[in-house]
Amino acid sequence: MKLQHNLGGLEGLGPVVFQKRVFVQAWEERIFGIHVAMMALSNHLDKAIPQYPIKQVPTTFKDFWTWGHLRMGAEGMNPFDYFRLRYYEKWLGGISGFFVEKGYITAEELDAQTALYLASGNLANAPLPAGGNAAIDTQVVRYLREGDSPKGAYAGTAKFEPGMKVKVKNVPPIDHTRLPGHLRGKVGTIDSVYPDAYGYFFPTSDGIGSPMPVYLVSFDPQDLWGAEKSEPNSIYYDDLFEVYLEAV
Amino acid sequence: MSSYDHFSYDTDREVYSAARARALEALLIKKGVITGSTVDKVLEYFKTEMGPFNGAKIVARAWVDPAFKAKLLDDANAAIAEMDFPAGMSGAEGEHMKVAENTAAVHNVIVCTLCSCYPWTTLGLPPYWFKDPTFRARVVREPRAVLQEFGVTLDPAVQVKVWDSSAQIRWFVLPERPAGTEGMTEAKLSTLVTPEAMMGVAKVKVA
Repeated sequence: MKLQHNLGGLEGLGPVVFQKRVFVQAWEERIFGIHVAMMALSNHLDKAIPQYPIKQVPTTFKDFWTWGHLRMGAEGMNPFDYFRLRYYEKWLGGISGFFVEKGYITAEELDAQTALYLASGNLANAPLPAGGNAAIDTQVVRYLREGDSPKGAYAGTAKFEPGMKVKVKNVPPIDHTRLPGHLRGKVGTIDSVYPDAYGYFFPTSDGIGSPMPVYLVSFDPQDLWGAEKSEPNSIYYDDLFEVYLEAV
Repeated sequence: MSSYDHFSYDTDREVYSAARARALEALLIKKGVITGSTVDKVLEYFKTEMGPFNGAKIVARAWVDPAFKAKLLDDANAAIAEMDFPAGMSGAEGEHMKVAENTAAVHNVIVCTLCSCYPWTTLGLPPYWFKDPTFRARVVREPRAVLQEFGVTLDPAVQVKVWDSSAQIRWFVLPERPAGTEGMTEAKLSTLVTPEAMMGVAKVKVA
């Protein structure tokens, strides 16, 4: 069991830090931009809905990288580190590790380059390399404009209809899931069926991947947390893939 | 000091991360993965084209145009496509959006308990509090208590709806139009709308 899959309802955390900024350090913007570029240059995009001509884009990036990969890395972290590290610190660790693991860079050159910037004592004035093929940037901006819709063809019909009670399955999540842990085994009501079927970037061991119906499911907080631990006059909704649900 | 204080780190840790991020970017440019301007182009896109300024215009339009509001609640992407925005409103992290309407009787709040799903094209990039595990853990069980901390006190008669995005839909909130704005133009109204109001942790106030 992973704490990252089971955040909902965790107690004893104290007040929320109401930090409204998106980035709190300048370097965080850089790792965000790198992650977006990786998603925009991912080798699966020739099969995405806009059918990007990804093989013709003159980048040396030849891997599959999506939100699913970033999330799976974060879910695989030591849970204490997950809480200890700030959001983009997790990204920096996960993304650097990916590039080393896949052989784009070596740990030694990353350490050496880091030391170079640290030794200069003046990060702001240490220049980044310039140049590169502009067609890479064209693809990155095109990806931002056109996206990577998970919509896909599904031959079957939706199993459940609005108003039906459903039980959330307790499938083992293993490495990655889109089923919040606090819903496992709970009973909810189908509010609506989304008009399109949605896939996921890659198959997970708990059953998502190929396009399937997705439901908006409502839950009575008392059924999730018990009467004492829940607040009155409230409804909790979650979007759930069909494979996570069974008839009651 | 709390042992769980995100925003006061020792300088060494920040300097190291800054050097590390810059080293990674430099190597990726050198190896031809990205160019020397890729990251700047991405950041520029979110500063100038896709940000909460788009969502604010959508909200203002919905306040003044009931037919638009009805369409927005029915098919957000189609309604937004009718407005005058840069190309790409149904692009990355805006492919499939849904809108929850606040009324005198219902208050909505959005969350992503598994990560930080957020409608980028309309709201831009998520603020830190939204990505904070504490917010994500707490708002699903005790939304009224969390809203109170954020300065929103709800009457017990107001129903709270919490929308958790675990699949492919990106939610945002259509806040209530505040009293005292009857004579305002759509453009003026849009200046009142904050990202927090479109996430359901603030009400729109007249400045």
